[in-house]
Amino acid sequence: MKNVLLLYFTLFLSASGWAQSNEIIGTVTDETGFPLPGVSILKLGTSTGTVTDIDGSFSIEASTGERLQFSYLGFQSQTLTIDNSTELTVVMQEDVSNLDEVVVIGYGSASKRELTGATSQVKGEAIEKMNMPRVDQALQGKLAGVNISTNSGAPGGTSNIRIRGIGTFGDNDPLILVDGVIYDAAGLNALNPGDIESVNVLKDGTAGIYGVRAANGVILIETKKGNLGSKPQLDLNGYYGVQETARQLDLLNAREYAILKNEAFAAGGQPLPFANVELGEGTNWQRAAFQQAPIQEYNLTVTGGSEKTSYSIGGGYFAQDGIVGGSKANFERYNARINFTTQLAPKLKFTNVLLFTREESSGLPQGGIGSVLYNTINAYPTEPIRVGDRYSYLENVNDIINPMAQMENTYNNSYVNKLVGKEELEYTINDHFTWTGRAGYNFAMVDAKTFNPLVWYGPGKFANSARNANLDPVLVDVGGLEIERGANVFESRNTFLDYNLETYLNYNRTFADVHRVKGMFGLSLVGNRSEGLNGTGFNIPNNDLDFADISANQASGGFLNNVGSFQSRQRLTSAFFRGEYDYKQRYLFSAIIRRDGSTNFGPNNRIGYFPAISGAWVVSDEPFFNVSGIDFMKLRASFGVSGNDQIGLFRYRGLLNGSATYVFNDLIVNGAAIGNTSNPDLKWETTYQTNIGLDFSLLGNLDFTANYFVKNTKDLLFQPDVSALLGAYGPGGAPPVINAGDVLNRGIELELGYATNRSEGVNFSVDYNLTLLKNEVTAVPIGFEFIPGAAFSVGGNVASRFEKGYPIGYFIGYQTDGVFQTQEEIVTSPVSQPGAQPGDFRFVDQNGDGVISFGDDSDRTSLGSPIPDMTMGLNLSVDYKGFDMAANAYAALGQEIIRNYERQQPYANQQAYWINRWTGAGSTNEYPRLTTGATRNTVFSDFYVEDGSFLRLRNVQLGYTLPTTVSQKIGMNYFRFYLAANNLLTLTRYQGFDPDVGSGNPLFAGVDNGIYPQARTFMAGFNIKF
Amino acid sequence: MKYIYQWSLVLLFGTMTACDSLLDIDPEFTQDAENFFNTEEDFDRAIIGVYDMMQPAYLNMWIGEIASDNAIAGGESVNDSRGLHEIENMTHGGVNEELRAVMRVNYTGIARANYIFENQEKVDFEGKDLILAEAKFLRAYFYFNLVNYFGDMPLIVDRRISINEISAAPRTPKAEVYQQIESDLRDAVAVLPWNVDQTGRLTKGAAMALLGKALLYQQKYEDAATVLGELIDTNQAGYALFENFETLFLAQNQNVAEDVFTIQFSGLQGGDYGCLVCLNGNAAVGFQSIRQYTGPVYADGNSYNLPTEDLYQAFEDGDIRRDASVLDLEAFIAAQPNPDEITYAIGGGGHTGYFNNKYIKRLDELGLPDNDLTSPLNYRAIRWADVLLMAAEAFQRSGNDERARTELNKVRSRVDMPAITSSDDALYQDILQERRLELSGEGLRFFDLVRTGQAAERISGFIAGQHELFPIPQVEIDLAGGNWEQNPGY
Repeated sequence: MKNVLLLYFTLFLSASGWAQSNEIIGTVTDETGFPLPGVSILKLGTSTGTVTDIDGSFSIEASTGERLQFSYLGFQSQTLTIDNSTELTVVMQEDVSNLDEVVVIGYGSASKRELTGATSQVKGEAIEKMNMPRVDQALQGKLAGVNISTNSGAPGGTSNIRIRGIGTFGDNDPLILVDGVIYDAAGLNALNPGDIESVNVLKDGTAGIYGVRAANGVILIETKKGNLGSKPQLDLNGYYGVQETARQLDLLNAREYAILKNEAFAAGGQPLPFANVELGEGTNWQRAAFQQAPIQEYNLTVTGGSEKTSYSIGGGYFAQDGIVGGSKANFERYNARINFTTQLAPKLKFTNVLLFTREESSGLPQGGIGSVLYNTINAYPTEPIRVGDRYSYLENVNDIINPMAQMENTYNNSYVNKLVGKEELEYTINDHFTWTGRAGYNFAMVDAKTFNPLVWYGPGKFANSARNANLDPVLVDVGGLEIERGANVFESRNTFLDYNLETYLNYNRTFADVHRVKGMFGLSLVGNRSEGLNGTGFNIPNNDLDFADISANQASGGFLNNVGSFQSRQRLTSAFFRGEYDYKQRYLFSAIIRRDGSTNFGPNNRIGYFPAISGAWVVSDEPFFNVSGIDFMKLRASFGVSGNDQIGLFRYRGLLNGSATYVFNDLIVNGAAIGNTSNPDLKWETTYQTNIGLDFSLLGNLDFTANYFVKNTKDLLFQPDVSALLGAYGPGGAPPVINAGDVLNRGIELELGYATNRSEGVNFSVDYNLTLLKNEVTAVPIGFEFIPGAAFSVGGNVASRFEKGYPIGYFIGYQTDGVFQTQEEIVTSPVSQPGAQPGDFRFVDQNGDGVISFGDDSDRTSLGSPIPDMTMGLNLSVDYKGFDMAANAYAALGQEIIRNYERQQPYANQQAYWINRWTGAGSTNEYPRLTTGATRNTVFSDFYVEDGSFLRLRNVQLGYTLPTTVSQKIGMNYFRFYLAANNLLTLTRYQGFDPDVGSGNPLFAGVDNGIYPQARTFMAGFNIKF
Repeated sequence: MKYIYQWSLVLLFGTMTACDSLLDIDPEFTQDAENFFNTEEDFDRAIIGVYDMMQPAYLNMWIGEIASDNAIAGGESVNDSRGLHEIENMTHGGVNEELRAVMRVNYTGIARANYIFENQEKVDFEGKDLILAEAKFLRAYFYFNLVNYFGDMPLIVDRRISINEISAAPRTPKAEVYQQIESDLRDAVAVLPWNVDQTGRLTKGAAMALLGKALLYQQKYEDAATVLGELIDTNQAGYALFENFETLFLAQNQNVAEDVFTIQFSGLQGGDYGCLVCLNGNAAVGFQSIRQYTGPVYADGNSYNLPTEDLYQAFEDGDIRRDASVLDLEAFIAAQPNPDEITYAIGGGGHTGYFNNKYIKRLDELGLPDNDLTSPLNYRAIRWADVLLMAAEAFQRSGNDERARTELNKVRSRVDMPAITSSDDALYQDILQERRLELSGEGLRFFDLVRTGQAAERISGFIAGQHELFPIPQVEIDLAGGNWEQNPGY
């Protein structure tokens, strides 16, 4: 195929030449007279150009009357016409309004001035300054319309990036491209934020240039590149910090616990567990589980360039220990990067990007029952941490184990080696045509090793793997043979290769000085291949980590050992076209069409077409526009269709992947059964998005952008409940997947930027962004009421749903109306509530039938939604005479959280608010009574739902830069050191560890199973340039 | 220039078409549902998939006891497995996860059997008739479950039903479903051998026993007596009562001469609560065992399905089956040398002091983790004593009291209980009582009470005319197009 393409593009080759001229020499400086190296100089109407050298000097052949364009990032471009003089001095004006800043769009770039779509950009420095381990964490609150929520604050924990709301209950991750190479959102851990030059987000229909992958928005990340003709610069950055938990829960102490439990058991008609309640403080499990932990990062980068080659080479190291688990929950990252661009021939440019990462991490069980924090919260304070020479057993509770013992027994390591690269050729065919061809790849090898020693957490514990406290192995009968089931080790190696081959041709021509036409046509092949192999070896000698390798297994006969493997592949072939036209850069139009074919769909629906159109009107360029103070004003509108093909592999096919196992001759035999039921008509999810935007600049230093969008996602994939008659409910069985269901996201985004640019005195800049979002499910398939989401408590009601008329993942349960104070109140209540006793919640009879119905939905109602109504970010920075201060704050308002980390178990510890429980008529109308008997107080109600709004000071930083004269004396061009704090302050009414409770699955968002909280971190760091 | 544009268009479409061919990839190492049954091995594998659907037998073991006077639901709390608590109290309605599971499991079994029949002509090989006979037996077993729970149920045979046909599938009258059950079982009896070389494979004896049971449940006493009598008389498999009732339910005494129709389990595969139907272990056993128990002999479980005082008291003094069937936990602990060191917990879902001593987790019979779910204990769906008692009942009802007493007293003599000498209705009542004592805890009681008309008098809250059948889960009525009428009373 490549040969065909090459042939195809060579057809566009044509020659061009130019006349003789004089040599012009000159220098380029900034306003202070400081020479600027790397300024690009282009002879307009030709492809001839050069760049300034280290001293800001240049020379170029040009004849009188020709025009030279000088451009440099951060400065306003200017055009000079050559007169008789052959020496030029050019002073570049710093660009405050940033309208000429280059924004990366799909298969090209554009200045902010000429954009017709809704995009946002964050610069690398702003990301680096946050000192966050992951780029997505650094983006929280930086971009309007981009919401970042956290799955876990543990080292290596992931976040969710959601652009303009949640469009599906399936995969909501945006398409992320690093230098044009596909980068999985989950793999962002591998990317060093210090390597990033800029992050560009395509939010509206114009992202449709990426077609069937663009429905969730597109993030284009560019890594640092060198500048031509600049002398080598060495950057050394680093910080060291200490992390701690920002909050501990207010739990009962031993005395309070004993009193409350006695009361609960008495109410349940059971004997009192504590004869003596004066047990003092008891054990503070949280104090034991949380610790201070270090975090550190060091980066070294060399950038520079000769006349024809520029480079940026760097390396970095990052390490973080967990505030729970310390080195048992750590994350380390080693990065190396080689980026260079070189002019191979006068018209042929070669670009190479190579990013290597190694990650080493270890993890603890997180999120919900069985996790360390869940155990910590629910372990009771009357039990010491240790009894004699062993950990205590917490024997009264079956499913809660000693969290300290659990941490000690967890050995769960993973290692990732990742290579991301791109080789790109850019050929300037003539003044109007440029051809680009590139190959990108993202190869990751993920190794994991888990050692499961024989453990004994106490009698009856679900997590025991030993037979008894002596750690004797369990005996299993294998076909009449008794075999010891000892410690085991699980090892896996999975490899993931994403590759893309792309070629495209750009056309750019201005007719009669006012009509500019741009065109781009390209083809791409994107594919991936994943393979994995894993195995488990039993009977590791001595129950000892030192022998934790499959090779050391002593499983008799190998009977218990087992192996597994998987492999999958996917392909996407695409052709895409973009045409742009503008008149005097005042009226701009753009149209996109993309054709995609994906292996994820059946033959009936394999090919899709995705169109988009957009336009902009620069009102301020109109002759009639004469508003003093408004420098620039542009109106934009776009409409586009895009798709989401991330629906899983081969879901259109009926496969024999059901489970069929039975027992003959006392041994398990494997058979075959239908698993997935087929649907050959399956297709992608489609998003239709309309955007209206306004940009303007005021007074030279205030930028304002507003967008209104309506985003309709249709054809969501459903696996509807089907009738039992179909027989889809055996092991491994699944009903067919169908396209049905719509989601609507509407919102408003505002971005405000203000910056002063004084050469002396105080400089000040503020960026503020605001997103208002409304999410609503607008259709579900016929005969389908809702998709159930997260369960409340252990084995309790389903508390969240995907249902028409409500936001995705809204909470549904009973609404309480105070507490029944007396039996008389219950008897005389117009609503009968089965089983109610004094001290129980009075539930609201939603359907007004006079009975609270616990068996169906008739009295359940919406109790809130995990999706914030409003998010905003504020970035402030001030500098004065070498001192600088910066702060970043993020707020999410209007979302709710389900408090789901409390184990409703007779002996589990409880939060201190239970001290205010109902104890008799008139005691409280807010909290119910305590009892171990049957009660409806534990059904999912608004009592378990809290306001999750929060405002967080994510980063504050105070730095000092040595005057250049001083730093140069110690051999540095630049030296800055700083103190910083992350998550210094969080304002919220939520009682849990952390109100930033995200989930990759939107139906589980806002359900707090005891999230690993984000640490509060205090850091000291430095930035040095040589 | 014009040609260039034309040629580029041609090339453009050429490359696009070439690229589209890159999209024709198949899942690797995976078999397609529509391209199967090409070899004998494919049939062998498919029949295992049908056998597999018997393993969710825990539903019968629980509901058959909890709905009756034999047991309460128990468990962690009344809010846990609410469906079972409602069944215990006869307050169950159209929302009941356990009943929905019964429907789903049995129809999946039927669909898996029908998938074989749909493709039975695709290839011929020696032994295909055996596989088809097994499939018929299994289909009959699943339909028999369905009619017992729900009465009239849609009858689908010999092919899979498509999603578009669901709303046109009416409830088939129970009698017609029974006709299919009988015909399938008679076909199975004709083909299946008495003895098999793989334990766990279905036999002629199993098919005769299930056929006899299906006839008995329809009160076709003479036919039942014929089939069961023939099974007892010919008995080429050497079925016999196991000598020692007290050890009959230990894992070491599985697949003995008493086993006629047994659902096999293994402790060799782990499992989790996320998918009970996926288990290869007997889920009922862990659920029914003693909560947080630490001590000798037994192992901890979830205290479900707890025998009642009424059942315990039903045994005559000296009947060894009492302690072998019902564990009086406090008495057991008191009899141990170190009673103070033995601990257990009481679940919030109810406590009777008794546990099912047949299907219970014992320390030396544990499966892989989570061993609450992976018990290797087989479930004896029909054992020889049941065959004898069913035969006794069928003979008595069809007027042969003497043969009835013979079969009944075989069962009693094994446990050294005096022979019954009664006749007529007294004999009938004795047989029914003997069924309770012999077969308690084995998931049969509720269905016995219903089919013999004793349910209303024995089960508190039982409303005659309603509770003989369970309600069809409302969601299943809706998903089938809403055309089915709910069972009376619900």
